[in-house]
Amino acid sequence: MREALTRTPPRRPASRPRPDRPQLIKAATITVLLLFTLFGLPQLLSLYYIDTMTQVAVYSMVTLALGVLVGRVGLVSLGQVAVLAIGAWVAARLLFATTQPYPVILLEAGLITMVAGIVTGLPALRLRGLYLALITLMLAGAITVVLATVNFPNGGHGFLGYNGSLVHIPPIRRPSVAGTDPAYFRYAVIVAILMFALTTAHLKTKPGRAWAAIRQSEPAALAAGINTTLYKLWALALASFITGVAGGVLAGAVHYLYSIGFPTQDSITLLAVTLMGGAYSMWGAVVAALLYQFLPALLNNWGVSADWLIILFGLGVLQVLTTAPAGLADQVPRDLKRLARRLRRQRTTT
Amino acid sequence: MPPWSDFEPFIVSGLALGGVYALSGVGLVVLYRATGVLYLAFGAVGAIGALIAWSLINKAHVPGWAAWLVCIAAAAAITLGYGLIFGPALAKRDPLVKAVATIGLTLVLYGLMDLLWTTSGGEARSLTLPSDNGGFSIGQIQVNWTQVIALAAGVVITLGTGLFLRYTKLGTAMRAMANDREITATLGVPVRKVEAAAWLGCGVLAGIAGLLLADLVALDATTLTFLVISSLAAVLIARLRSITITFAAAIVVGLLHDLLTPITSLTNYRDMTPFVLAAAGLLVMSRTTVMTQSREEA
Repeated sequence: MREALTRTPPRRPASRPRPDRPQLIKAATITVLLLFTLFGLPQLLSLYYIDTMTQVAVYSMVTLALGVLVGRVGLVSLGQVAVLAIGAWVAARLLFATTQPYPVILLEAGLITMVAGIVTGLPALRLRGLYLALITLMLAGAITVVLATVNFPNGGHGFLGYNGSLVHIPPIRRPSVAGTDPAYFRYAVIVAILMFALTTAHLKTKPGRAWAAIRQSEPAALAAGINTTLYKLWALALASFITGVAGGVLAGAVHYLYSIGFPTQDSITLLAVTLMGGAYSMWGAVVAALLYQFLPALLNNWGVSADWLIILFGLGVLQVLTTAPAGLADQVPRDLKRLARRLRRQRTTT
Repeated sequence: MPPWSDFEPFIVSGLALGGVYALSGVGLVVLYRATGVLYLAFGAVGAIGALIAWSLINKAHVPGWAAWLVCIAAAAAITLGYGLIFGPALAKRDPLVKAVATIGLTLVLYGLMDLLWTTSGGEARSLTLPSDNGGFSIGQIQVNWTQVIALAAGVVITLGTGLFLRYTKLGTAMRAMANDREITATLGVPVRKVEAAAWLGCGVLAGIAGLLLADLVALDATTLTFLVISSLAAVLIARLRSITITFAAAIVVGLLHDLLTPITSLTNYRDMTPFVLAAAGLLVMSRTTVMTQSREEA
């Protein structure tokens, strides 16, 4: 019976697809992994690594957003760190100025960053491909210069909230439920899960299909009646929102923000790890964040220079672009599967 | 507004900077037209050349001229090597993919430079050319020979490249490849050889630019690697096409950047000049877009 079913799959009603076994296994794996990350990991790790993993959670949102742009819609952004900086700036300013609860601040930071992303992105979206990538690099460069002059809020007054002569700089506050580092780590992971869920919801519905069409061919998508400008702008808005929220989480994680922490070259590294991790899948975003934040921390602990990592990222980009366009998240499982198949075949022949 | 005399020295330095941007921009445009690759590692290649020259002069006590030649040769060799390995492998891909691949090379070189010429020790490096010492003055303004060489190099390279593309066989082949690689190959042009020549030329220019910028700006891996963004602005304003517009835009970028220095309210924002000019230029010029199915960006 089962054989017959797998050979000719019956057409299920599209409205209620029944999850089959591989999907159930996948869902169970994800649940177990998430529960372990939330409850097991903080018990096992030292404070150093908990801080690192908080950064991983933050940057997984950034690479997720970049993955949506690069992998799903085909818009390459070389300025994502500048967007993150805007989110962090807005969140820090609001955290100093108001006593609103943290989730509200995160939402506001996301929304304001989203508006900033749309305002700068709307004219830029006239451009395509290489030109769009380069203009994001230019805009990011400009934002970085402004940030270096304006500085991050440090508890001062006025619109900019920066006071250069302040002796005692108050730390950026954290949510009352997540004051300690392990608690804040859990908080960051939950925010990241929400952002991943938001992205999944987009990809499974109309915008996701429109983005897939645009990525394949923009003229064809246009001919099929898709409002390409609207959906490209939508992708940009979603990516800016997620990155803005990530900036808000980052502000609480580090307590003090400096404009030196957001150099333009980091946007380039970020694109490199996103491509290496795999821009087409959600796992790719997590892999990319681990590469970007966890690996440097590990090497630092071992006393290995982080420069080796930059070299590795460079080689990784070249490797990904020439041989594995879907990145590590796709390549490693595929190669493992191939290896397993080969081993199995060997066992049957012997 | 400060008095005019405050601006005068910055005209000279701005023109010198603009000259180097122009020479870099011309290299980038020619390589892009011939191979379809926007070479984002241009700055990094020049930087590693300049750092090698610094090591040769200060550690191995090699005479200056030999070190400068090694700088240019190293930049050319790295560029040509990359072009020979990754050029054919990525030839059929989108221009965007080709450009991102050169970011890979940039990261490799950048990591290598930070590893070999580490900055954490607080060791300040500088590369001075003998032309810094001599010079002349126009009215109140002091001009040194390096600044003259920088501007002259920009002018000469732009003119020379224009003539080369117009009148030589190799230049004609490059222009043909800019139009259509496949048809050019069908006509019997040795496509790979022409591409290799373009890579080599671009590498030589990267070496010269690295040497000049190390003297005019600073000998620092990060600064030199990302200074290419300023020439990119000029190249973008020229829409990766015209070397004349590239030259003009590069001079404007260099000049405007330096002229903003004495204005106190804007001096902190002067590094934005290339970005703002490029963004404005691109947006104004892209008011009408043509959507095509070809790989060529409209």
